Amino acid sequence: MNTLRLNARGCVLAILACAAWSQSPLAAEAAHPNLSGFWMLASGKPVEDPALKAKISPGTVILADTGAVEFGIGDFGGLKLTPVAAAAAKSWDSKDDMSVANACRIPSIIYAMQGPFPIEIFQGTQMTVIRLEYFDMARVIFTDGRKHQAEGGPMTKTGDSIGHWEGDTLVVDTMHVKEATITNNGLSHSDKVHVVERFKLSADGKKLLATQEFDDPEMLLNKGVRFITWNRVEGDHVHAYDCDPSFAENYAK
Amino acid sequence: MKTGMKKPLSFAAMLGMLATMPALAHHSFAVFFDNEQGVVSVRGVVTEFNFKNPHGIIRLNVKGKDGAMQEWKAETNSPSILERRGWKKDSIKPGDEIVVEGWRARDGANYMRMRKVTRADGSPVGVPFESMEVR
Repeated sequence: MNTLRLNARGCVLAILACAAWSQSPLAAEAAHPNLSGFWMLASGKPVEDPALKAKISPGTVILADTGAVEFGIGDFGGLKLTPVAAAAAKSWDSKDDMSVANACRIPSIIYAMQGPFPIEIFQGTQMTVIRLEYFDMARVIFTDGRKHQAEGGPMTKTGDSIGHWEGDTLVVDTMHVKEATITNNGLSHSDKVHVVERFKLSADGKKLLATQEFDDPEMLLNKGVRFITWNRVEGDHVHAYDCDPSFAENYAK
Repeated sequence: MKTGMKKPLSFAAMLGMLATMPALAHHSFAVFFDNEQGVVSVRGVVTEFNFKNPHGIIRLNVKGKDGAMQEWKAETNSPSILERRGWKKDSIKPGDEIVVEGWRARDGANYMRMRKVTRADGSPVGVPFESMEVR
C-alpha cells in the first residue's frame, strides 16, 4: 500500500518518471500495442496508412508539408482561410520571427509534431507521455477516461489531451491549444483549434504511423490533416533542445 | 469535446487579437532561403563556430573575386540533430579552412543555410545530408 502511495505521489511530482514507472510490466496493458520508444521522423513522403486514411473527415485537405518540407509565402497547402486568417497572413513579415524576443518562442503541437525532430513515448495505462526534442516540449495524454478540462482552463502550446484506444490505434483529442503557427508562413491557428491525432504501429512495429487532423472555426473554412511517420530507433533518447535566442542576432546586418 | 456558447468576436476585434499574436520562433526555410537558385559554395577560414539550438552558426572569412575579404555566415541544422550525425561543438575551429555548401539567403546577404561542410583535405564534417533536411 505504501509503495502504491509513493508511486501516486511520484505521478504528481514527476510525470515523466511516473510514465516510466507505469510502462513497467506490472503496469503495461497487454491488450494495446505498446507505442513506447524513441522515434525519429522519417524523411521523405509519410506513409498514408489506409486505415488511418479512412478515418479522415470528409472534405479534409491533406497537407504535404510534413517534415523538412515547408510552404512558401501565400501557399497554405489547400487550407481555406477565413477573412481574419487571410488578413493576418497577408500582413505577416518573416523578419519578425528573427528577433531575440521571438527566436525561442515555441510553436504548438500542430507544427511541432510534424517537424524533423525525434519524439520519445512513454506509454502507461492511465496516461501516455510524449517528449518532443523540438523546444523541449512534453505532452501528457490522459487515458483514464477523464473529460477535457473545463471551459476557461489554461491555454498551453501542448493543449489538453485525452486519449482512448480504437483497436490498434491510439486516438488523441486535444483542445485548449494556445495560438501558434500552422504552416510557418503566416497562417496561425486560434485557441479554438481542435486536434485529433491517431497513432498506430506499422505491421512490423518499426514505424509509428499517425494522422494529425485539425479544425479551427476562427481561422479555417476547411479541415486539414497531416500524415506523419516516424522510424523506431533503439538506444537513443530525446536530447535537450535548450534554445538560445541570441541566434537571432546573426540576422542583423 | 465541449460546446460552450460564446459571443462571436467582430472581424476588427479578431484582427486586433491576431496583431498581438506572437510570431513563430522558428524561421521558415522556404521563406528565408533561395532553394530555386540551387546550392552555392564558398571557401574560407573559420573565425567562429557557435553550436547551439535552434541553429549553429559558422562565421568565416571568404576572399571575394576582387580579392577583398568578405564575412559569410552559414547557419547549420539544429545541433541536436547534427550531433547524431557526428558533429561536435569543436568539430570546426577558428583557423580551419573549409568549404561550405548551402542555400543562400533570399535577400542576397552573405548568409546561407548549410547543407554540407568539407575540410581542406576533402573530408566531410559529420555525415552530410542526403536530402534537404533543413530545419
